[in-house]
Amino acid sequence: MPKPRKPSISQSLLVLIFVAITTLSYPLTAAETDDGNWRIVNYWSEWCAPCRVEIPMFNELSVRLANSQVIIVGVNFDEDPRELTLEIADEMGIEFTVLSQETVDLLGMKPPDVLPTTYLLSPSNEVMAKLIGMQSEQDILDALSLQGLTPLTD
Amino acid sequence: MIRPIGSPNTALLVFLFAWSFGFASGAAGQGRLEHLPSPAPSNSSLSRVVANESGEIYLSWVSQDTEQATLAFSRLTSEDWDTPKVISRGNNWFVNWADFPALSVDASGMVAHWLQISAQGTYDYDIRARFYPKDNTTWTAARTIHTDGISAEHGFVSMLPFDNGTTLITWLDGRETKQGNPLGAMTLRAGIFDKSGANVSEWELDHRVCDCCQTSSAMTEKGPIVVYRDRSSEEVRDIYATRLIEGAWTLPQPLHNDNWQIAGCPVNGPSVAAMNERVAVAWFSAKDDTPKIQLVMSSDSGQSFSDPIVVESPNTNGRVGTVILESNEIVVSWMDTTDGAKIVLSRYDIKGNFLDITEVASSSASRRSGFPIIEAVGNSVYVTWTDISTTPQVKVARIDY
Repeated sequence: MPKPRKPSISQSLLVLIFVAITTLSYPLTAAETDDGNWRIVNYWSEWCAPCRVEIPMFNELSVRLANSQVIIVGVNFDEDPRELTLEIADEMGIEFTVLSQETVDLLGMKPPDVLPTTYLLSPSNEVMAKLIGMQSEQDILDALSLQGLTPLTD
Repeated sequence: MIRPIGSPNTALLVFLFAWSFGFASGAAGQGRLEHLPSPAPSNSSLSRVVANESGEIYLSWVSQDTEQATLAFSRLTSEDWDTPKVISRGNNWFVNWADFPALSVDASGMVAHWLQISAQGTYDYDIRARFYPKDNTTWTAARTIHTDGISAEHGFVSMLPFDNGTTLITWLDGRETKQGNPLGAMTLRAGIFDKSGANVSEWELDHRVCDCCQTSSAMTEKGPIVVYRDRSSEEVRDIYATRLIEGAWTLPQPLHNDNWQIAGCPVNGPSVAAMNERVAVAWFSAKDDTPKIQLVMSSDSGQSFSDPIVVESPNTNGRVGTVILESNEIVVSWMDTTDGAKIVLSRYDIKGNFLDITEVASSSASRRSGFPIIEAVGNSVYVTWTDISTTPQVKVARIDY
C-alpha cells in the first residue's frame, strides 16, 4: 500500500477546497466505480439529526484520506432529484462526493433500514461492513482495520 | 352421451376452473382486489385514506409543481370521487416522503395539517393546521398547533376524532432539542383541539422518543391509545404505548422488548387500530440487521397485549398499516421486498391465526414510493400509495374480504 504524504496545513486547505468544489459537482461514472479504491458509503438525509452530527467527521476524514486508497462518498437516502440532492448536500455542509442514483445502482447498493448507515465497500464493490447508526472516526478506522487497512498510518 | 348441465362432473369442472383461476391469480390471495380511479393528478404523492363514522372514504394528497405544494382531498361517493378541493398551498413547506399531511374526518367536520419551514432554521418546521367545522362550511385560518414558539423540528402527526367534535392530535416535538446543556431529546406531545382549532389541553407524553418515526393513535372503548417508537438512554428504540384513561395518560409501556439498539433513525413507525375493546398494533424492527414485522393484539383496550406474531421476516422494509375489520379480523399492510417491492396485505383472525395474503400492487423500495396507507370500512380495506413507475401519481384500491 502506498504511503501517503503528510500534507501541510495549507495543502490540507487546498485539498479541502478541491474536494468541495469538484466532488459535489460531479457524480461518479461507471468507470469510477471500478477504480481500485475502497469506499466508505454514508447514507444520509436532511431530516436525520444523527446524520447531520456525523457529517463534519466524514468531511474531515475525507480530507485525511485524500491520498489513500479509501474514499468517502455519500448517498441521499431520500433519492431526491440530482439537482436537489446537491442543493441539500450543500446546505448540510457535505464536502465529500455525493453519488448519483445511477452510480448507487451501478454499485449494487440497497438502501438501509436505518439512518445513518455507513457501508464499507471493497474495490470490487462488495459490502465488507455495515455500520448502523451514528459513527465516530474511530468506528470507521476500526472497520477499515478489520479489513487490514490503516490508511492514516501507512 | 350428452350430460345435463349441473351434473356432478360439470360441477367438478366448474370447481377446477375456479380453482385454477384462483391459483393463476394467486397473488391476489383471498381478498377481492379492485383498483379504483384516482382523483389525484400527476405529480401527486403523500396520500392518506381515511373514513368517517358513516363509512365515507376521503383521500388526501400533496401535488407539487416548481412553484408550490398543494394539499387537496376528495370524497368517494357511490358514483365516483368528488371534485378535489384544496385545503392549503405553500411555497415554504417541508415536503417529506415519511412525514406528510394527515386528514381527520368525522360528523362534526375535518382537520388537516402540513409542515411549514420556520424562518430561523433550515431543518426546523412547524405543524400548521386548518379546521373545517361542518356547521361553518369553511376552513379556518391556518394555525400552528404547538405553542412552544421554538424553531425546531415538529412533525409525524397523527389525528383522531375525540369527544364532542374535538380532535386529539399527537406529534413529535423538537423544542427540547434546542434547549439545555446538553441539548434535550425529541419529545412526544398531544393536544385536544376544538372544532375551531382552539387548544383545549396539551400534554407531554414522553420526554425522549425516536426522532423520525411516525406516531399512530386509535380510539378504544376506554379511550385513545397512542403508539410510537421510544428512545432509551441506551438507544434502544422499541415500540411503546400510552393511553388516556379518565383524563390522565398512563405510564408508557413497551409492547414488546425487541431490544433494537441503534443510534439512528429507522424511519418506520408503528400502526395501531382499535374497535371497541380490541386493539391491534403492527411495527417494524431490525435487531441484528434482520428486518421483521410483528403484530400484537389486545382485548382490553390496550391494557395488555398478546405475545407478538411475526408477520414477515426478513423480506420487508416495513412501512406498516393496521386495520380491524367488521368481522374482527385484522389486516396488516406492509412492503414485501422478496422480489423487487410489493404492497401486500396479511389477514389474521381474531385469535391471531394467519388467514391469507393479498398482493395489492407492485411498488418500489424507493423512498419516493412513500408509505402505503390503509383504512377499513366494514369488511373492505382501502389502500392508497404512490406509483412512481412514471410520473408520480397517487393510486387507490379496495380489497373486499
